[in-house]
Amino acid sequence: MAERVFITGMGMVTAIGDNVAGNLQRLRQQKSGLGFTDYIDTIYKQILPVGEVKLDNTTLFRMAGIPVRAGFSRTTLLGLVAMREALQQAGISNLQEEPTGFINASTVGGMCDTEKVYFDLINPDKSGAFIESIHTLDCADCTQRIADTVGFTEHIATISTACSSSANALMFGARMIKAGMYQRMVCGGTEALTRFTLNGFNSLKNVDKQFCRPFDQQRTGLNLGEGAAYLVLESESFAKANNSTILAEFTGYCNANEAFHPTSPSPEGDGAYAAMKNALAMSGRTLEEVQYINVHGTATLNNDISEGRALERMFGTAVPPFSSTKPFTGHTLAAAGAIEAIYAVLAIRNGIIFPNLNFSERMEELQISPVTELQEEVIINNVISNSFGFGGNNASLVISKYEG
Amino acid sequence: MKVKCYIQGMAAISPQQTFEGDITTAPFVQSDSNRLVCIEPDYKPYIPANSLRRMTRVLRMGLATALKCLSGSGVSTPGPIVTGTGKGSLQDTEKFIKEIEQYKETALNPTPFIQSTYNSVNGLIALQQNGTDYNNTFVHRGFSFENALVDSLMLLQEGATHTLTGSFEEMTPEHFYIKSRIGQWREQPVGNTHLFDASLPGTISGEGSAFFVLAAAPTPESKAAVTGIKLLYKPSLERLSAVLQELGADADLIISGANGDSNYSHYYELANQVLAAPTIPFKHLCGEYDTAGSFALWLAASLLHAGNIPADWFPMVKELPADFKKVVIYNHFFGEQHTVMVVERVSS
Repeated sequence: MAERVFITGMGMVTAIGDNVAGNLQRLRQQKSGLGFTDYIDTIYKQILPVGEVKLDNTTLFRMAGIPVRAGFSRTTLLGLVAMREALQQAGISNLQEEPTGFINASTVGGMCDTEKVYFDLINPDKSGAFIESIHTLDCADCTQRIADTVGFTEHIATISTACSSSANALMFGARMIKAGMYQRMVCGGTEALTRFTLNGFNSLKNVDKQFCRPFDQQRTGLNLGEGAAYLVLESESFAKANNSTILAEFTGYCNANEAFHPTSPSPEGDGAYAAMKNALAMSGRTLEEVQYINVHGTATLNNDISEGRALERMFGTAVPPFSSTKPFTGHTLAAAGAIEAIYAVLAIRNGIIFPNLNFSERMEELQISPVTELQEEVIINNVISNSFGFGGNNASLVISKYEG
Repeated sequence: MKVKCYIQGMAAISPQQTFEGDITTAPFVQSDSNRLVCIEPDYKPYIPANSLRRMTRVLRMGLATALKCLSGSGVSTPGPIVTGTGKGSLQDTEKFIKEIEQYKETALNPTPFIQSTYNSVNGLIALQQNGTDYNNTFVHRGFSFENALVDSLMLLQEGATHTLTGSFEEMTPEHFYIKSRIGQWREQPVGNTHLFDASLPGTISGEGSAFFVLAAAPTPESKAAVTGIKLLYKPSLERLSAVLQELGADADLIISGANGDSNYSHYYELANQVLAAPTIPFKHLCGEYDTAGSFALWLAASLLHAGNIPADWFPMVKELPADFKKVVIYNHFFGEQHTVMVVERVSS
């Protein structure tokens, strides 16, 4: 019998807070982190809103507990800030005491820094400290710098499946625990805003000039965001022997591909439906036992139709309360799955459902609307968290209240 | 985790004639350049012309390799698709960075952005083969392919009958130049024929794509079995030595990732001391790249399946073993990600 997997530590940084408590506070205050960028060099500075972490890199170095030095990209620094909190919350001061794997997720690695020096890198006439940025070109760079700074020496990996990357990192870590390879894994993702990604999504014509409006009839696209989040996963036997504080149980997950289109989801939400259905089946919970769904809800035209249809197909007329938290944080791509997994834990532990900001008009294609007001004192035992991405990569997670 | 799976089919595009040719008869392709370039096949039998036009080089290589692998494996669906790539489509990444600059962030064509996404090859395979199962892409330098292999072994243990597991990597002239700035390549042209003549700083670059259909149970068509894998991140020499002994003590052939780079050659020298079996190199065939380990696995399985080692491919090895059943691959990527894989003959 495979071990149960528990969440025993969490750390995060997003546009609405530098740590988990800060995020919870802003969610309760229903106060969005969307605004204009201070740090990206783009012509869209005052045009396209983003969910930017309002901390400059010097401040991030200080929060990460390391001296300012070349080669540490913003992606790495955001990751380190979140990682420090996750380890601290789990009571891990020395990673060598128990072999611990690290599964990270990233969509463009250190592109935030690379893009600033790229034309110098390819110019033989230029030389200087920018050479230190050469390694930030790939996705493993941030993972290894985080690992080396905090002391991971065991299994490490970086996953890149677009917007479902860190959901897949959590899944991979949980499966390694169930396979008996490790008793403890730290999984999540980190993403910094870049001119590259902003222009990428904008060229696809799915970035909203207003604050994004998930599941709203008038929605026109997403807002990008940045941030990082990591969760400490432990096997049941280790968590109990170690006397770990168990925050929640990671009861189900599914990764399914839609095989429909390189960037668009199918109109009937086949991939979303398969991912949610199989994840819930794995958790052993029934449809009625799901009290909240933190939807992918990017506010792109296609995602919300597809995901909404999948919800209606799965739950019929009894779709549980659902909301997208992307109007708070922006779409943080590789970090989104882990950030929203933490929000799921917060929903369960605090009995609250976060509102889907900026909603005013139900989509004509759907019979359902998201939660628009903060709901408190709700009993939440099981949350489904969705992350869907390019390439048809769909992932759903089920996070459940720990009941011994 | 139980480590045992069977290679039911495989395909590789590399700087050698691996896609069409037969390892026992294909000649060793020599190069004078420090950048080994893939011999690309005619893609038309694999990819419809209208799709082919839009796709950049590494997408074509990855997709065609995956499709050829599937077609020779006797499976009707790909099952879970798990890949590794260190750099994804460099050509698209470079193009999009430049177009952002050139067109001042306006009226951009989204195609290079979409294709630069690391999981785009996986998405294409799924799309073309209606692969609606699990789908994952690892992007971690010298651990990219090996993590995909670990993931696949777990999937087989969890109940999948088979997986499609592979890698894809390209080296562009621009990226070759960038990495030359930190001394990754030899300063003077050495090519692949003289790679091991002297131990000097730097090596030669490579690229390639390799895919495998891996199954939980053997069939008469099984090419070889993967029976061991270990990933070691920046290990101490003691740890590396212990793992090599544990996995490789009774091997009768070692495939070494040695690449003539004096900066990191001490690890391969250690392996030579620890492991007694005869050793053959492979980087003169494919060059150095993040997912070169997948080429080594293709090579190991091909040699085990053929039952002999073509002398033409290994002119630097004086005596090649005539009989071998257990092959151990040891590779590392610029001293950071070390991997050991065990591949064995399937007795029929």
